[in-house]
Amino acid sequence: MSAEPNSAFRYISRKRRTKEDHRFLAGNGRYVADIALPRMLHVALVASPYPAAHILSIDASAALALPGVKAVVTGDELASGTDALASGLDIPKVRRYPLAVGTARYVGEWVAAVVAESRALAEDAAELVEVEYEPLPSVSDPEAALDPSSPPVHADHGSNLLYRRKFVWGPVDEDFAAAEHRIEFRARWNRNATVPIETFGVVASWDPTAQLLDVWASIQMPKFPDQLAKALRLPGNGVRVHFDVDVGGSYGVKRGIKHSVLAGYLARRLGRPVRLIEDRLENMRGGDAHGPDRIFDMAVAFDSSGIIRSLRIRALDDVGAHAGRAPFQLGKPIGAIVGPYRIASVEYEAISVTTNKTPQEAVRGFGQSPTNFALESAVDRVARHLGIDRIELRRRNLIRHDEFPYTIPSGSTYDSGDYHAVLDKALAAGGYEDLVRRRDAAREAGKIAGVGIACCLEPSGGNSAFEPLFNPKNETTTWMDSCSIKVDLYGGIVAMMGTSSSGQGHETLVSTVVGEVLGRDPETIRVVHSDSLSALPSNSPVGSRMAIMLGGAAAGAAKKLKATITAIGAHRLGVAPEAAEYRDGDVMLASDPGRRLTFDQIVEIAHRKFHELPPGLEPGLQSAHVMEVPTGGTLPTADGRVQMYPCYAFEAHVVYLEIDRITGKVAIGRYAVGHDCGTMINPDIVHGMTYGGIAHGIGAALYERFAYDGEGQLLSGSFMDYLIPSSHEVPDITIADHCTPSPLTSFGQKGSGEAGYLGAPAAIAGAVNDALAPLGLSLTELPMTPGVLGDLIAGAG
Amino acid sequence: MKAAEFDYVRVASVEAACRALAEAGGDGKILAGGQTLVPMLAMRLLRPTLLVDVNRVASLQVIVAGGGEIVIGAGTRQSDALADEIVRRDLPLLAKALGFVGHVQTRNRGTVGGSIANADPAAEIALAALALDCEIVAQSVRGVRTIPIARFFQGAMTTALAADECLVELHFPAAPSGGGRGCGFHEVASRHSDFALAAAAVQLALDGEGACRSVAIAVGGVGGAPLRIDAATERLRGTTLAAEDLAAAAAIVREVVEPASDLHASADYRRRVAGALVERALLDARSEALAGRN
Repeated sequence: MSAEPNSAFRYISRKRRTKEDHRFLAGNGRYVADIALPRMLHVALVASPYPAAHILSIDASAALALPGVKAVVTGDELASGTDALASGLDIPKVRRYPLAVGTARYVGEWVAAVVAESRALAEDAAELVEVEYEPLPSVSDPEAALDPSSPPVHADHGSNLLYRRKFVWGPVDEDFAAAEHRIEFRARWNRNATVPIETFGVVASWDPTAQLLDVWASIQMPKFPDQLAKALRLPGNGVRVHFDVDVGGSYGVKRGIKHSVLAGYLARRLGRPVRLIEDRLENMRGGDAHGPDRIFDMAVAFDSSGIIRSLRIRALDDVGAHAGRAPFQLGKPIGAIVGPYRIASVEYEAISVTTNKTPQEAVRGFGQSPTNFALESAVDRVARHLGIDRIELRRRNLIRHDEFPYTIPSGSTYDSGDYHAVLDKALAAGGYEDLVRRRDAAREAGKIAGVGIACCLEPSGGNSAFEPLFNPKNETTTWMDSCSIKVDLYGGIVAMMGTSSSGQGHETLVSTVVGEVLGRDPETIRVVHSDSLSALPSNSPVGSRMAIMLGGAAAGAAKKLKATITAIGAHRLGVAPEAAEYRDGDVMLASDPGRRLTFDQIVEIAHRKFHELPPGLEPGLQSAHVMEVPTGGTLPTADGRVQMYPCYAFEAHVVYLEIDRITGKVAIGRYAVGHDCGTMINPDIVHGMTYGGIAHGIGAALYERFAYDGEGQLLSGSFMDYLIPSSHEVPDITIADHCTPSPLTSFGQKGSGEAGYLGAPAAIAGAVNDALAPLGLSLTELPMTPGVLGDLIAGAG
Repeated sequence: MKAAEFDYVRVASVEAACRALAEAGGDGKILAGGQTLVPMLAMRLLRPTLLVDVNRVASLQVIVAGGGEIVIGAGTRQSDALADEIVRRDLPLLAKALGFVGHVQTRNRGTVGGSIANADPAAEIALAALALDCEIVAQSVRGVRTIPIARFFQGAMTTALAADECLVELHFPAAPSGGGRGCGFHEVASRHSDFALAAAAVQLALDGEGACRSVAIAVGGVGGAPLRIDAATERLRGTTLAAEDLAAAAAIVREVVEPASDLHASADYRRRVAGALVERALLDARSEALAGRN
C-alpha cells in the first residue's frame, strides 16, 4: 500500500492520527445507551407472529396489572395522536405508523409498545399482552407479488406495485438490432444489510413548560428532526435532536424514524423520559433495516470485438411491507447505470413491489453494489461468450482518462478518473499473473480455483436527485451541508457540524480541512456536533458525501474566516487586503513580511478592540458556510435524465479463491484493490473504510442473508443464522491508492464511505464463476454459501 | 432479550447442586459455562425457576487418568481440556474435536460436560465422546448412575439426564495402547467455528501388517443426535483401508444418515459431505497410525 502524500498539502493526505481514536479506543464513546435521565422509562415491543393478519383485539389488562408497568400503547392510539411517517414516493394509500394499525404486515412488526420501569419488566409485560389475530393470505416472493392476483400488502393501495418505470436513454432498440451478439441472464441479489453492533436506540424527553422534545438517537438520517416533528404534530423548533451522540455503526440503516416517533409520543404522553433500545431480535426482524432484495434481468448487446453497445436492465426489488427508502435505492444507481464503461444506450426498468417481509432501509451504496454485481456479471459473460480475456475486454470498454468529464446516457456526468491506470495498479498489487499461474496449477491438481476482477464506481457527494426523478411532486434540488467556525478570545478554534457521525471520522475531517486552510495545527482545533436547533441546514453522512460536502463546507467557512483575519490585519497595517498576506494565522505586508500582526493580536482586536476593526465588520471572529452539492440545482428532464451525484470514485478488485469440491466452501487466497477517490483527506480513514467495505462485501457475496420461508417466516433472525464474516473469513487485503482529483471539490476529494463494498461482491462472484467455468457451471445468485455451491458442484457430477 | 425471572444459587459441592435441583422440582438448571444457556435464557427459550451455579465446584474440574480410563470432570473448561497433557496424549480425538469448538473466548468459559448435556446435534465434543464410547456419570439426591453414551443422546437437545440430575463426570476408555493408533476429525461449518453442517470423528488402530484392528466412526450434524456408523466399522475391520475400503465406508455413511434440510444446507449436501468427511477423517487417522507404527 502506497499513499503518496500530495505535496500541495500540509495536513491533508498526510498520515495523521484520527481525532476520534482516543475516545473510542479508550472505551469513552458516549452512545444512546449511555444517556440515562432521571425517571426514565423503558420500552419493549409486542411483535406480530404472522406475515399478514388483521388485529382483532388487544387485551393489555394482565400486562398493566404488573407493578411498574406504565402503559401499553396500540397502533390505533398512536395513529390518532401522530401523523403517518413520510414516504418519498407518491403513494398516499400506503400509510406507515410505528405500530401496526389494524393490520400486521410482516412477522416481527410491532403491534403494541409496553412501557415500564425497566426493560426486563417491559418484556415480562409484553408477554402478557393478548392480541387476537385473523391471519390473512400473504406473499413473500417478489415475482408473485407482481402478479395482480397476489394479496396486496396494503389493501387500500390495491396492488403490490409501488413503482414501475421504464427509462430508455438512447437508441436501445437500434443498438440491440445492430449488435453482432446479444446475451441475456438473470442475477439475484438476496436480502442482506449492514448489521451494526449497536442496534437502534433512542431516548426522548418532553419538557411541557418549554414545549420541547429532546431526542438522543443513534441516527444517520437526513431530515430526521423535521420528519420527527411533523409526525408528532410539533413545530420544527419543538424538537431538539442532540447530534453529539456517538453512533455504534450504521452504513445506512440507522434511520429509526419509527422508533423515534414512538419514543417521542410515549415521552409526551407519559410525561417521563422514555428509552427504546432494540434488542437484537427486534432489530433483525422488526427494525425495518434490511437491504436491497433484487432480481436483475440483464440483456447485453455487443460486437465481436468486445465493444458493449447497449444494455437492457430490469430490476425488480422486493421492498418488504413498506416503501421506506427502498424505491430510491433503485434510483440512485441511475447515476452510474453503465458503470465505468462507454455504453451508448441503456434501457432500465425499475420495479418496486411490496411483500410481507421486513421493510428495507438504506444500506451502504444505496442500491449501487447490487447493480455493480449485475453489471460486472454481464461484462464477465460477454468476455466468456467471445473468448476474450476479461481484463482486455474491460480495457476496451472502460472510459479513457482523456474522455472526462464524461456524460453517460442517463444524464450524469462523471467528473474525473483514470480507470485503466487504477486497474493496472490493482493487477500489479494482486500479482495477477502469479494468481493466474496459481489458479492453473491448482486446477491441474484437481482443485476448483478462480480469479475474479471487478471494476466499479462509487458515486459520491449524495444529492437526492432520485427523489424528484421518482416522484415529480418532489422538487428537491439541494442537499446542503454546513459548517461554522468560531475563534474564541484566546485563539481557540471551534468548528461546528450540524449532524451526528456514525464512525466516519468527521472530527478528523473537519479539523484537517480547517487546519489546512488556516495553517493551524488540526490537533488544536476542536470539532463539535451541534443540536438540531443550533445547527445550520445540514443533511447527514449519507451517499458518500461528507468528504465532499462537510469537507467543502468546512473549507468554505475557513476561507471566509481567513479573509476576515486578513482584512483585520490589513486594516491595522493600514493597507488594502490585497496588499496583505495571510500565513498560518498571522497577517503581514506582502512587500515587507517584517511588518505583521500575529494571530493572537488579530483575535484580540476582533474580540476587544472594535475601534481597530475595519468599518462594517462584526465583532468577534466567526464564519459559516452552507454548501450546495456541486452540480446540484437542476430537476430531471421529462425522459428521466438527471445529474445524480457529482463525483465518481473508482475501484478495481482482484481476488483469488478456491472452492472445496465436496463441501463447497470458498477460501479466499488473495485480495487486492486499486482505489481512486481523488484526494484522501485522511488516508487511514479511507483505508479503514475500504477494508471494512470489502469485509462487508465478502459477507454479501458468501454469507449474509435475511432468508424467509415460503410462509413469510424469517429464518435468519439472529446471529446464529445471519452469518457475518469474522476475522477468520476476511483475508489480508492489499490496497493500491491512486489519486485523480475531482475538479468539483475543495481539495480534489471524492467520497469513500462505500469503498470496497461496491466491488467486492462482484469480484468474488466473478472469481467463483471463473472457478466454476471449467465444470460448465455458473452461478449469479448471492450469497454463494457452501450449501449452494456444494449442491451445484455435486449436480455437475 | 432479558431473561424471565429466576432464582440463583451458587453451590460448593455436587451434593448441594443435587439438593438444589431436587428442591426446584424439575424446574432447575445447572449453570456451568453458560455459553448456550445464557443466550437461551435471554431469548426466553428456557425459563428455569432456579439456576444452580456449579462454577465453583472444584471436584467438577479435574482430569485424571488411571485404571484404563480417563476421567474428565463435567465442569472442566474446554480450553483447559484442550491444553491438558492427559487429553492430548490419551484422548487425541477429543483434543482434535475441541479445536473446532467455538472460539478461544467461548472455550475459556464453555465446559466439556456442558456441551454434552446441551446435546446440540452438531456439537463436536458430543461427537468425539460418542466415537470414543465414553460413559457419563450423573448424580442426584436419588443416587449416582452411569449412562453409556450410546443411550445418552435422545434427539436434538434432549438427553437421558433427568431434570434433577447433575452431569458429574465423563469416563473415557484409554485409547488402544502401542503404536499404530490414529484418529481424525473433520467438519465443515459455514464460518470458522460455527456449528457443523456435517462432522466426522474417527479413531482406529492398525496391526503390524497395517490392517485395521479396530475402528470407531461417528458423524454429527446430520440428524437429531450424533450417530455411530457401526456398519462402516464392520466393513473396515481387517482391511488395509485402501481407497475402495474408504469409499465403501463413505457409501455406508451416506446410506445410514437421515439428515434434514435447513437454511444452510440441504439434506443431500449433508449426506454427501458426511460421507466425504468420514473418508477424510479415515485418511488422517490412517496416516497418523502408519506414522506412529514406524
